[in-house]
Amino acid sequence: MALKIIESCVNCYACEPLCPSDAIYEAKPHFLIDAKKCSECDGDYTDPQCASICPIEGAILDALNVPLNPPGSLTGIPPEKMAEAMAELQSH
Amino acid sequence: MELPVLNETSQSEGGCSAGSCGSTDDQLSHLSDDIRDKVQNHPCYSEDAHHYFARMHVAVAPACNIQCHYCNRKYDCANESRPGVVSELLSPEQAVKKTMAVAANIPQMTVLGIAGPGDPLANPERTFATFQALSEQAPDIKLCVSTNGLALPAAVEELSKHNIDHVTITINTLDAEIGAKIYPWVFWNNRRIKGKKGAQILIDQQQKGLEMLVEKGILVKVNSVMIPGVNDKHLAEVSKVVKAKGAFLHNVMPLIAEAEHGTFYGVMGQRGPSNDELQTLQDECSGDMNMMRHCRQCRADAVGMLGEDRGDEFTLDKIEDMEIDYQAAMEKRKVIHQAIEAEMNEKRAASEQSQQQALAAPKLNTRPVLMAVATSGQNVINMHFGHAKEFLVYEASPDGVRFISHRKTELYCSGDDTCGDAETALQRNIRTLEGCEVVLCSKIGYEPWEQLEQAGIQPNGEHAMENIEDAVMAVYREMAENGKLEESNDDQRISA
Repeated sequence: MALKIIESCVNCYACEPLCPSDAIYEAKPHFLIDAKKCSECDGDYTDPQCASICPIEGAILDALNVPLNPPGSLTGIPPEKMAEAMAELQSH
Repeated sequence: MELPVLNETSQSEGGCSAGSCGSTDDQLSHLSDDIRDKVQNHPCYSEDAHHYFARMHVAVAPACNIQCHYCNRKYDCANESRPGVVSELLSPEQAVKKTMAVAANIPQMTVLGIAGPGDPLANPERTFATFQALSEQAPDIKLCVSTNGLALPAAVEELSKHNIDHVTITINTLDAEIGAKIYPWVFWNNRRIKGKKGAQILIDQQQKGLEMLVEKGILVKVNSVMIPGVNDKHLAEVSKVVKAKGAFLHNVMPLIAEAEHGTFYGVMGQRGPSNDELQTLQDECSGDMNMMRHCRQCRADAVGMLGEDRGDEFTLDKIEDMEIDYQAAMEKRKVIHQAIEAEMNEKRAASEQSQQQALAAPKLNTRPVLMAVATSGQNVINMHFGHAKEFLVYEASPDGVRFISHRKTELYCSGDDTCGDAETALQRNIRTLEGCEVVLCSKIGYEPWEQLEQAGIQPNGEHAMENIEDAVMAVYREMAENGKLEESNDDQRISA
């Protein structure tokens, strides 16, 4: 049972000091979670701390590779609206 | 909405209230002498000082504890200049080295700020390590910090230890309903809290932090982002409340929102305010408190005078090789600062004198006029029209000359309707000057001259190297003499 950080991480450091298991460490090109240490905050907090402060949707996955913060859940931007805006920009 | 004022502190007033003495744009005239001493060389606080002194930000604070709808944490572009954006994250040691390198090379740099790219107080160790080292090694640099306020109450004690006398809090609302439309979530007591509940926590912490700072005698400036249809009707109330609690300056900034920034407001098509809407709100708030209008909304790693960014000269690899003798630099800085202060005092005295003379002259009964000025600093008209990256807009009226705003010429267009493909850079820049009747610059080419005239804006290169206020007044009087300002209508607002 462990969470993981993927390449969309922007290296903002917010999660690292919050981890009760010291499982998060700075690495290149982005922060990583030591799967052996990660407890998903079980026993320490109601919610996994890294996923509760992470500002980037989809950057933290659970053991089944499901994002804890799916698209639209943090920014409030509906995913289809974001896709529309990006397509519009690329057409210019 | 009536809100209780929890901590009514009587603000020590100077000799006169704002607007009743000195030049009408002297924003600091209502402050007590000790506060004025503290801020008069601060480019972000004093409209006067920003023509002479420079500031820098060091990007040591990447983490944030809230999300704002005008911010996108994924964004980092070297060509962008706006808050929250940064090219290179620094460790506290690197930040100290960079600050001292800049201070030695740009002696006008008097202020070091930490403003992000996240929230400085969500990164307390990195932020305070930087402040501590700088107050020991470079005591002639003023330190300031800009925060969303969530972690502020917990940081006030530490802030007072490091002798940081300027704090900026961004307060966009006092109402959780409105807050929920600006802040989708806050991280508080180990939970991500969304919606109204999260916004209420943020609002409470901001107000508590403001009161605690005032109690400690630390100067507080309040920033607000004007978001049309969201908080625009509410900001005059915010102004009133924060002033009553002891904030010494309120800075209303326009929302920056473009789809390409990937922010909620950008993608969802939330518009920013027009120049006219911004000026109307700033005027409404200035009845209640001191306003600043020269804010450039700079990046979290900006270096130089307001409106310029010399960060490229001080990248990590470049400062690595610089040997800095800070003792020697400090001696040199002191001499230069004294010379600048002498020059500022001289110009202040001269400006007071010309204001007196203007008062003595028969009072005009003419309508106000907006004029744009091309300047690179020193409060004089010293910029070629075609080289100006921004224009300063002044209003001339029978009551005198006052600074209204700056308008950027290149970085941002004001909406889709002004950015058609056929439009040249020159035409775009001319549109930026909409509402102005005159543009003052040191020189101007034949083509822009003609196009400006066609757009109804009179170019003027006759006042090169003259003091801005004096030149604007001289042109205004000339317009009056030539009968160009005949109709006087107090109700008429000029579109800004």
